[in-house]
Amino acid sequence: MTSVQIIRLHIRRILALMYKEFITIWKDPKSRGLVLGMPIIQLLLFANSVTMEVKNIDMAVLDYSRTPESRELLSSFAGSTRFRNLYYVENLDALRDKIETQKVQLGLIVPDDFAIKIKQKTATDVQLIADGRQTSSASMASGYAMQIIGTYSNKVAPISTTAINVVSRNWFNQNLDYQLYILQMLVPMLALSCTLMLTSMSVCREKENGTFEQLIISPLLPVEIMIGKLLPPLLIAMTVTMFMTGVVVFVYGVPMVGSLMQLLIMMFTALLAISGVGLFISSVTKTQQQAILGVMTFQVPAFMLSGFVSPVQDMPDLAQFITRINPVWYFMDGTQMVFFRGLNYSMMWKFVLPLLAISFVTLGIATWTFTRKLE
Amino acid sequence: MNAVSIKNVTKKFGDIIALDDLSLDFPTGKITGLMGADGAGKTTLLRLIIGLLLPNAGEISTLGYDPTTNKDDIVQVIGYMPQKFGMYEDLSIQENLELYADLRDKPHDFEKVLDMTNLAPFTKRLAGKLSGGMKQKLGLACTLLGNPKLLILDEPSVGVDPISRRELIKLVKDSLTEDTAVIWATSYLDEAHNFDEAVVLDKGKLLFQGKPATLSPTAKGFEEEVVKLMGGFEDEPSKLAEDYEIVAPQSEYTVEADNLCKRYGDFYAVKNNTFRIKRGEIFGLLGPNGAGKSTSFKMMCGLAKPTSGTARIVGIDIQDNPSVARSYLGYMAQKFSLYGDLTIEENMNFFVGIYGLDYFTGRKRIAELKEIFGFDKYANTPTKDLPLGIKQRLSLACAVIHEPPVLFLDEPTSGVDAVGRREFWQHINALAKKGVTVLVTTHFMDEAEYCDHISLFLAGQTIAIGTPDELKASVGADNMEDTFIRIIEKSSIEV
Repeated sequence: MTSVQIIRLHIRRILALMYKEFITIWKDPKSRGLVLGMPIIQLLLFANSVTMEVKNIDMAVLDYSRTPESRELLSSFAGSTRFRNLYYVENLDALRDKIETQKVQLGLIVPDDFAIKIKQKTATDVQLIADGRQTSSASMASGYAMQIIGTYSNKVAPISTTAINVVSRNWFNQNLDYQLYILQMLVPMLALSCTLMLTSMSVCREKENGTFEQLIISPLLPVEIMIGKLLPPLLIAMTVTMFMTGVVVFVYGVPMVGSLMQLLIMMFTALLAISGVGLFISSVTKTQQQAILGVMTFQVPAFMLSGFVSPVQDMPDLAQFITRINPVWYFMDGTQMVFFRGLNYSMMWKFVLPLLAISFVTLGIATWTFTRKLE
Repeated sequence: MNAVSIKNVTKKFGDIIALDDLSLDFPTGKITGLMGADGAGKTTLLRLIIGLLLPNAGEISTLGYDPTTNKDDIVQVIGYMPQKFGMYEDLSIQENLELYADLRDKPHDFEKVLDMTNLAPFTKRLAGKLSGGMKQKLGLACTLLGNPKLLILDEPSVGVDPISRRELIKLVKDSLTEDTAVIWATSYLDEAHNFDEAVVLDKGKLLFQGKPATLSPTAKGFEEEVVKLMGGFEDEPSKLAEDYEIVAPQSEYTVEADNLCKRYGDFYAVKNNTFRIKRGEIFGLLGPNGAGKSTSFKMMCGLAKPTSGTARIVGIDIQDNPSVARSYLGYMAQKFSLYGDLTIEENMNFFVGIYGLDYFTGRKRIAELKEIFGFDKYANTPTKDLPLGIKQRLSLACAVIHEPPVLFLDEPTSGVDAVGRREFWQHINALAKKGVTVLVTTHFMDEAEYCDHISLFLAGQTIAIGTPDELKASVGADNMEDTFIRIIEKSSIEV
């Protein structure tokens, strides 16, 4: 055979395997649900219900003062968009009850000498009680409350002109719109789980059905099997996430500063690395259940250490080191960059090179375990 | 007295009529063999008798109970062994028995069944580690717990070697008393000839009921008669072989095993296995379950790596050059192993592609095979829903799609009915005449007769090799089954 014929033979085999993979994924209700259903569910869930912002705060108020001054303070809460309802209570027990039953997130106690002290221009205290069970929303809610109280305090007793006046501004996401943040994170998250699931199922589905031996006994080379198993999930995941990106940008109006090309390059290299992990899981497991457990074992920590849940710089050193070899971190961070600020090509390499290195390792290990299993 | 009586029973699945106005009785004190082609309604009938399915019309009486209303009473007095007996592979024999006894509220009285099945020395062994024959014996032991009045066995001897098969039959015969009954569904017709009663079903109708000897006094004659009843078998030349063109390096010996060994720790699964198969020969690997046949077979096609020794296909070492060697190989696995969600054509397309056939050759070949095997009727059915016989034809079609000079068949006819088996062997024999070399493992001794040479395996070693006639003469037997058993017994004593 001439070398052209040999190359043609390799391509023909790989294409046959890829074509079969596509129909198998399409005809398997589980995989089809994964490809079609999951993006829609995730989009609806994340876009509409998952938020870490604190709006609609309810607050119980125990006003011992009952003066125009105290009412003025309280009315500035009522005027805030973050606060929804103020419940006026008569005594401490009623306030405690409101917080215990989670009717309110905050409690505010205004002392009876409030107006007098304000008139005397001496310092006065109000007490703010937050529901510590909801740790993060409690601190955010009391933060807002303190801002409002501070503004009022400034009004009744202006600070001398020498004090520092802070003007803060949020770059990239001016209004700190949480939906914007979560939606552009949804794109890599979705690509991650779609790719992991599809790749991790592919080899062990064949083991379960007994078709794996048939595959090994054919003239297909282990590398050909790997490529044939790698590309279909990768292409499907890319298509699904491109569609999702379209929805996020055009329907939800999330701005994308970087170019589509940048997003595609980022996604391809990251998914290559993640596919390697998925195929590795698939070649060491025997059943699809085992593969799903394997995916969880990887996905949860990888996601936790991606910088999405908590900032990388606050993690212990070891965890910080792990994020450097975690493809999900590069993926999340890189996608965020593409969306919010755009990348120039020298910055691109900072993401693409490590991702390519990780792909090389994960795909290498996957092929190696795969070939070893044959013997 | 009848253990089971069935009157005008009809059972439909959608538009398909599984049982068609069937009336028949199963007598007490006898073993009744239930035969029929795939899809004749055997399993449906058994399930109706127990009450696992409800009939659309007609009456059934099982040991005097009506299975449609008194299923719970029936379950207490019968033993049922389905085709796939649900054994817990991670439990030992003892634990499996205890579990079944508890589930069915029977006393923990295992001495008798363990004694009968010769499983007593292995009670601590995990069920997953048992050979096929021992697994079936354990299944039967579980079924026999609490002395059921009616024993219902759905093809218990599929995939079991002749020695274990004889033991199973003896076991069931020993357990039979005057007031118990056995219904034994089987596709081994020689086995059914040994039973007291024979029932032949076809397309949900009763074709024959009576003593097997009334059909024919000999096992061979009986098989002929039953095959005739099941619609007969036309002995026409194989179209598959007609247009088969072999392109392969010329070599006198197309399959060679040279001192193949497989060692796991201190244990030799296969030891010094050496044989050579001439072009166009059918070579059979026979032996009891767990003798090392499968391991040998796997090493020959490169699924397992030999500890030492070499295997060559048309002169090419399968370890050194697996891809090229495998391109000359067609393989049919023990259990159906094609893509169940795909249609027949999609499966064939896949094999055309991975064996590197170009587009037009592939199209032509698929069209040919579709015609030869009559696949057009099932064009849109996912292969997992095909009847067993069609599945087996498709496995063969995919194995020969690239016209390989060598075919490896691992128990290719396991569970297939007598007519299907004959059709299959007609193709194989014709292919061999065309020059295709065939390596086959089987538990059907009548199939062993088709082989040009046989290698008999025991405990990882070849204990006899020769033509069927040579082997028969060596122990003075007149059929393969006796030959098999005598050679194994003789060398077991020597070992």
